[in-house]
Amino acid sequence: MATAKKATHFPLLDNDDPQSSGMHPLKALTKRITEAYGPSGYEQGVRELIRDEIKGFADEVRVDALGNLIARKKGTGPTPRKKVMLAAHMDEIGVIVTHIDEKGFARFAPIGGVYPLTLFGQRCRFANGVVGVFGREIKDSTATEVTLNKLFIDVGATSKDDAPVGVGDPAGFWRDFSDLGNRIVSKAMDDRIGCVVLIEVLKQLKKSPHDVYFVFTVQEEVGLRGATTSAYGVQPDLAIAVDVTGTGDTPEANTMAVQLGKGPAIKVKDAGMLAHPAVKNLLAETAKEAKIPYQFEVLTGGTTDAMAMQTTREGVPAGCLSVPTRYVHTPSEMIDFNDLQNSIKLLVAVLGKQIKLD
Amino acid sequence: MSAKDFLKKLSEAHGVSGYEHAIREMVIAEFKPYADEISVTPMGSVIALKRGAGPSMRSTLSRAEGLRTGKVLIEGHMDEIGLMVTEIEQGFLRFTQVGGFDVRVLPSQEVIVHGKQKLRGIIGARPPHVLTADEREKVIPMSDLWIDVGLPEARVRELVQVGDWITYARDVIDLKNNLVAGKSLDDRAAVVSVVEALKSLATMKHTWDVYAVANVQEEVGLKGAQTSAFRINPDVAIALDVSHAEQPNTPEIGTVPLGGGMGIAIGPNIHPLVYEKLTEVAKANEIAFKVLAEAGATGTDAWAMQVVREGIPTGLIDIPLRYMHTSVETISITDVERIGRLLALFCASLDDKFIKQLRGETEEATRKSAKETRKNAKKK
Repeated sequence: MATAKKATHFPLLDNDDPQSSGMHPLKALTKRITEAYGPSGYEQGVRELIRDEIKGFADEVRVDALGNLIARKKGTGPTPRKKVMLAAHMDEIGVIVTHIDEKGFARFAPIGGVYPLTLFGQRCRFANGVVGVFGREIKDSTATEVTLNKLFIDVGATSKDDAPVGVGDPAGFWRDFSDLGNRIVSKAMDDRIGCVVLIEVLKQLKKSPHDVYFVFTVQEEVGLRGATTSAYGVQPDLAIAVDVTGTGDTPEANTMAVQLGKGPAIKVKDAGMLAHPAVKNLLAETAKEAKIPYQFEVLTGGTTDAMAMQTTREGVPAGCLSVPTRYVHTPSEMIDFNDLQNSIKLLVAVLGKQIKLD
Repeated sequence: MSAKDFLKKLSEAHGVSGYEHAIREMVIAEFKPYADEISVTPMGSVIALKRGAGPSMRSTLSRAEGLRTGKVLIEGHMDEIGLMVTEIEQGFLRFTQVGGFDVRVLPSQEVIVHGKQKLRGIIGARPPHVLTADEREKVIPMSDLWIDVGLPEARVRELVQVGDWITYARDVIDLKNNLVAGKSLDDRAAVVSVVEALKSLATMKHTWDVYAVANVQEEVGLKGAQTSAFRINPDVAIALDVSHAEQPNTPEIGTVPLGGGMGIAIGPNIHPLVYEKLTEVAKANEIAFKVLAEAGATGTDAWAMQVVREGIPTGLIDIPLRYMHTSVETISITDVERIGRLLALFCASLDDKFIKQLRGETEEATRKSAKETRKNAKKK
C-alpha cells in the first residue's frame, strides 16, 4: 500500500482515496494493482506491491531469476500431493524510447501488442513519473491509417538536452481507474485483474489438498517468457492461467460468444493452445456444482501463459480461466465486477477439492 | 492388422488436436504386441518402448568406455486438423479452425459435430445465384460459412456448446495401384509406418532401445513431439510426416512421385550423420528415396525435437501425399510399408560406434579415455 502511494506521480486527492471514499475493498485493490507501473521487463513495482499484499498468507514466497513472484501454499492432503500452478502476469504492454530528436520529441517502439489507433492523444508514464502525450504526424496521414512510426511522444521538453527521458526508457499507458458500478475500467486490466484474482484466491483459500503455487509472472506480453521459466521450476501437475479474453458483445463485434457479466470464461481454445479437456471440464463441473455462472471461450487471436506451461518439460495438463474484457490492449480495459468475484469464487472452489484428471 | 486396414481404421476415426483419445486407444492396441513397455505422457502422446540388446562388447569394457544403450525415437503424429464451434446463431453453427484446413474446399463438406451426441452436418454457404460477380470469383471466407445439422435452434443449444469440436465425415476409398484417399492421412499414415517398423524389428536384432511414438497436437504447434522427446531424451529422433507428391501444375522440385518411395530431408533441421545413415541404409537395401532440401523450418515435429533439452540429432522422412489438408488426401500403401521397412533397418543399424560419432569422439580418443578409466579404477 505504502509503495503504491509513493510510486504514484499524481498525489491522491482525498476524495480519490479508495479507503476513505468507502470503495469496495476488491475495487480498491484492483485500483492499486492496475494503476501501478510495469511494462514487460520492468515489473519490480508491481511485484513489491503484490508481495506486500500477500504477506502472511503463503508458506513460502520467492522470486526466481527472471523476476517471477512465486508464492506456495502447502496442501493438507496426504503426500505425494499434486502441484497446482496458477499464473497471472504482472507485466503490461507499453512502449520504449528509441530516439529523441533535437526538439525533444521521443520516438518509440512497442512493448507487446500495441495498436497505433489507440494511442493518439493518450498519455504514457515513465518509471521516474514523467508523463508523455502521444502525438502524431498529421501532414501525410489520416487518423485511421496511423502507424507507430508516424507517432511520437511529447514529454514537454523543448530540446534534446532538457528531455527528462532518454533512449531505452520504457513507459506504460497512464490512465486511472474508474468505477462505473457494475463495470470497472482501467489500464492494464490485462493482466493485473488476473493478479487480483490470484491475491484474493490465496487470501480466501482456507485449505487445499494440493500444494498450490500462485505465480505472478513477468514478460507475458513479449512471449510468455516468465511462465516458461517458472513452470520449468515449479514442475506442476496441473496449470491454470488467469488472464483476460475479448468479448463479442459490443456493436458490430467479431463473432465470439463471450459476453461481459455472463460469468468467467473457461477457455477451450485460443490462437496458441487447446486447453486440456480434463482441465476445461474440471472448471466447468466445479462451476456447476458451486452454482457459479460460466461461459466457454474460443478465442481466435492471442494466447496466454497457459500455452507456455502446457509444453513445459514432458507436458502439463493446462487450461485458462479468463475474465471477459472489452477493449483489450487499450488504455481503457473494461470488466464486469461480478465476473471478477465469480472468477475468484470458482478458483477457490476448484482448489479446495480433490482433483482427478481423467 | 495389415498396413492398409490399420490406416483405414485410423483415418475413419476422429481426433482433432487436443482430442486424440479415440485414436490413442487404437494406437496402444496396435503397439502392444511389439512393445516391452507402453506409457502415455501428460499431454496424451503414446510411447512404446522396444528394448534393444545393449552394447555389443563385454559389459565391463563397455562400462569403462562409458557406453550405454542408445535410444532412438521414431514418431508420427496422430492428431488431425478440424473445426470448432465459436457461436450458435439461429440454430446454425459458426466455427473456427483447429490447425489449417484448406479453406477453399470447406463449402459442401460433410462433417460430424462432437457435441453431447455426434451430429451429422454439412458446411453451407450462400448459393452462387445470389452472389455478385465479384464474390463468385473469390474464396468464401470462413466467417461467411456455417454448419447446418438440421435441428431447430432450441435442440441445437441442448446438444451443442461453444468449444465443441468438428471433424470431416469421410470414409477411405481405394484407388487403383494400391493408393487410398481419405481424411487425416496426414499424419496417421506415419503412425502406420511406425507400427510397420515395429513389426519388422520383431524379426531383427537391434542393440539400441527403440521408442515408437504417436504424438498429439502437431497441427497446433508441434507440442506432443516437444514434450515426448523431453521425456525420452533420445540420442537420435526420426520424424515422419507427409510432403507433397508429384501432381499436375506442381513443380517437380521438392516433390516426390507417389508410390515412388519417400523423401529423406536434408538441411539445418537435420543432423548430417543421421541423414547420412538413413540414406546409406536405404541404398544398401535398394529402397527408393528422393533427397528433399529443406532450407530452414521443416514445419514438422523434427523442428521441435531438435532443440529439446541439450539438443537432439534429428532426421526426417517424408511420405508423399497429394491434396494435403483436404478430405481427399491421397497416399500409396506401398510407400507407407516401405518407409516402415527403412525405419526398422535404420534402427537395427545403430551401434555403439554411432553414439560415439554423434558425440564427435574418434576411435583413438575413446580408447585413450577407456585406458585412463581403467588405470584410475586400479589406483583406487
